[in-house]
Amino acid sequence: MNKKAEEQDTTATETLNIHGASLSRRSFLGVSGSLLVSLALKPNLGFANSAVTNSLDAAAPNSWVEIHADNTVVIRTGKCDFGQSSIYTAYRQIVAEELGIPVDAITTVISGDTDRTPDGGGTFGLLRTNVLNLRKVAAYTREAVLKLAAQRFGVSPDSISIKDGILSAGSKRASYGEIVAKQALTLEIPVEGELTSFRGLTVAGNPPLKDPADYTVIGTPVKNPIVRPKVSGELTWVGDVKLPGMLHARVIHPATLGSTLVKAGNVDKSRFPNAQVVAINNLVAVVSPDEWEAVQAANAVAAVTQWSDWAGLPGSAQLQEHLRSQVDWNEVPGTAGRFNSGDAAVQASRTHAASYFVPYHKHAPIGPTVSLAEVTNGTITVHTHSQNPQFLRMAIAKMLGESEAAVVIRTYPGPGHFGRSNGGNAGSEDEAVLLARKLNKPVRVQWMRHDDMQWSTQSSAMLSDIRIDLNDSGKILRYEATHFGPPMQDDRPIGALLANLPTISSPSPNNPSPVHRAEMYVADSWVYAGIANVAETGHGTYQLGERESPLKVGLRDHSMRTPIQFQQNFPRESAITEAAALAGTDALEFRLQHATDPRFQALLTRLQKESQWQTRPSPAKEDESATVLRGRGVSIMFRDNGYWACAATIAVTPATGVVKVEQITLVADPGIVVNPLQLKRQAEAGCLMGVSQALHEEVAFDQSRVTSSDWYSYPILTMAEVPKLNVVIAPFQGAKIYGQGSESANALVPSAIAGAFFDATGKPARRLPLRPDYIKTLLL
Amino acid sequence: MTVISVNGEKREVKASPEVPLLYVLRGELDVMTPKFGCGLAQCGACSVLVDGEEVRACITPIAALDGKEITTVEGLPARWQQQRNLADDAERLHPVQQAWIDKQVPQCGICQFGMMIKTTELLESNPTPNDAAIVDALTTSGPSPHLCRCGSYAAIKEGIHHAADLMAASGGDKS
Ligand code: FES
Ligand code: FES
Repeated sequence: MNKKAEEQDTTATETLNIHGASLSRRSFLGVSGSLLVSLALKPNLGFANSAVTNSLDAAAPNSWVEIHADNTVVIRTGKCDFGQSSIYTAYRQIVAEELGIPVDAITTVISGDTDRTPDGGGTFGLLRTNVLNLRKVAAYTREAVLKLAAQRFGVSPDSISIKDGILSAGSKRASYGEIVAKQALTLEIPVEGELTSFRGLTVAGNPPLKDPADYTVIGTPVKNPIVRPKVSGELTWVGDVKLPGMLHARVIHPATLGSTLVKAGNVDKSRFPNAQVVAINNLVAVVSPDEWEAVQAANAVAAVTQWSDWAGLPGSAQLQEHLRSQVDWNEVPGTAGRFNSGDAAVQASRTHAASYFVPYHKHAPIGPTVSLAEVTNGTITVHTHSQNPQFLRMAIAKMLGESEAAVVIRTYPGPGHFGRSNGGNAGSEDEAVLLARKLNKPVRVQWMRHDDMQWSTQSSAMLSDIRIDLNDSGKILRYEATHFGPPMQDDRPIGALLANLPTISSPSPNNPSPVHRAEMYVADSWVYAGIANVAETGHGTYQLGERESPLKVGLRDHSMRTPIQFQQNFPRESAITEAAALAGTDALEFRLQHATDPRFQALLTRLQKESQWQTRPSPAKEDESATVLRGRGVSIMFRDNGYWACAATIAVTPATGVVKVEQITLVADPGIVVNPLQLKRQAEAGCLMGVSQALHEEVAFDQSRVTSSDWYSYPILTMAEVPKLNVVIAPFQGAKIYGQGSESANALVPSAIAGAFFDATGKPARRLPLRPDYIKTLLL
Repeated sequence: MTVISVNGEKREVKASPEVPLLYVLRGELDVMTPKFGCGLAQCGACSVLVDGEEVRACITPIAALDGKEITTVEGLPARWQQQRNLADDAERLHPVQQAWIDKQVPQCGICQFGMMIKTTELLESNPTPNDAAIVDALTTSGPSPHLCRCGSYAAIKEGIHHAADLMAASGGDKS
């Protein structure tokens, strides 16, 4: 039946109120039918630029859930998959659970695309707050279907139960599909917020949610349906997209992070007949219909392109000293920790005081960033891999001075980049747009390995002073931490900066956007409830070199996995380990004494058992002439309502300075475990990335540029260095909150490894990474 | 003109002889599973089999490949089918791919094409590798270690052992 015929067959529309959402129903004579759950756009929200107005798929651009007469279900989310699989596993489980349908009934997950998904927002904290939108939508939907079933059965909704997609009351039964058949049902859900803001839209209201005690789908090890198309090669990755008539571009980024263009080089047409140089202010690129020609020609042109000199960075070798004495920490207001309490002037019997340092890290995706852009009939379409497509859409529109309605972001699988694009861009998207507009042809911008290392954002460094006062009996009387570091959320696209076009503001103390401020917050949640006196302070500054750079570039920073918390957990847990030694107490026992929350007690006791922890004070007092020294360390962390503990065993070879991590035991009580299989894989992987950061990673830079440019100058972990890994998921029974995965596992590994080094050698390693040259200086 | 066999099919290549295989496969022949990771033989994202041996497509000019047989992940199911003389079955994957699904190996997955290629090379010569042989294959045997940023190495190890089991269990000798 065509659409027109359907319309003619409809009877009058009926509207029902479902906990503040509104369900409208039209019957028609066709066999199909569906329930479409969509946005209720309040007229006063000013949604001139909402997804509705730039829809390519006019049928259902802004629906969250669609239930079809054949019992299949489609869900849509503005969030994307970054390899953790949550939107294909946990999200389906959570929606299936609320609806009371089998998880396999959700056959399709549409994600990210700005013209085909309803809510926007960034892909972070997926199971923390982000999934709440779909969970509430599913709850509204179930309530609506219950109401329809009640009418059909002639009973009250309370007397209907739902199991495996079947609603029943006594002898009366109907599937979801049967309830929606032969009707056009629309459920409009109330929302708040702005679609293209950093956090996107939030579903409002409070529909009744299923009691976790009744869960049957959540908690099961559902496999990730995307793995098969990934390993079979059927999936189109962002780098695989081909647009008709597209040009391949290579960007020739400036010689330094502050250089402006003096003169762009020319293409030697005898060698590269189809290549062309394009310059938009300081954005210089070479394009060609042939990719290899673009690569070769760009190399040749780069060699003869002239840039101004610039030197405005301290150099990574001087970074600690620079943060200590060259930065004016009064420019940005300090912030106090949320758990500060007690007295500053306690009478200490012994004190541990030391400084700790975490260097800049790279997100370092295995594939450098790549995007495509095309302009057709005034619509700018960007094909990319982004963790916040609606925010990217806003930034592209802003850069071009266009309406957001003119910009569409399409998303694809891509290399995991761990938060780099949670504010929209990862690099290359805006460059593709600018080149496509200028050349009036579709353009694909593929960064090379060196572009990705040298021109992407980085996770910023932190210098921390910790002071721990002990009383006579070796307990902590007072904990004081002062953290100094640049901000971590620069979401300005690099192409807009190079082309000198309008964009959002860089991190500063007066940035109107709370996530883009320069203040340094205390992000490492306090875990030692047994300590009465706590004083934590954060001191922020501007990004290094940004204000000095004529491009306003310098070292651009961006959150990575557990932003700020990683950098603050390392000093805290390292110092606690050293304070335990000062008290003559075992490092794990010391944590048991101070982390008095029963869930930490249970976690640490479990860790003791799982890691076969031998209780004794550090250091291990090995024979110092031994060729290999062994030790073990422990760390704990609280994040997203999840409790995490880690034990590491390492072997140090003093002669070479090599640290080998032999075993990692991780115990997690993350709250409700939605999918134990995927959580375990996420945690294992996060853990290994943490080992990589602990042993190898530090961004090198001189006074002008990032000098880490490839996998030799920015090494990461290889399989040869993988320790024995034991990840234990031990959730507290009765938790009400969904547990998250890999990020926390990532952050607490380095401090456990540093603790193990102290145990093995008696020498504290107070900075990362534990590379041989540094280790040798410690053991001299 | 260079002629190569790609996943069992003879392909005439228009690109000039110095162009790296990766650009020919992806640009000219539409074979997309070899990925661009570094272009420097440092990561393994672009790995393919050339006459059964793992080669980094990003630095190998096609001039060196005239007449050779190239297998990418797209061609693994057919390669397995042929090796074991199995009936045509469009659903059947190579045991290495199947193991990657069974053990849910990938996180983002971008490195896994190269990992599966390297694993196939390993298992074809050593059907029951121990951990040391696996680590050697994925770190020291080639021009560089195969890198996984997501940290899926533990899952990859499990996947390789499982793939070895699947291959052993599927009966029939290697031809
Ligand atoms: S892309 Fe070929 S080895 Fe990295
Ligand atoms: S799975 Fe993401 S790089 Fe290996």
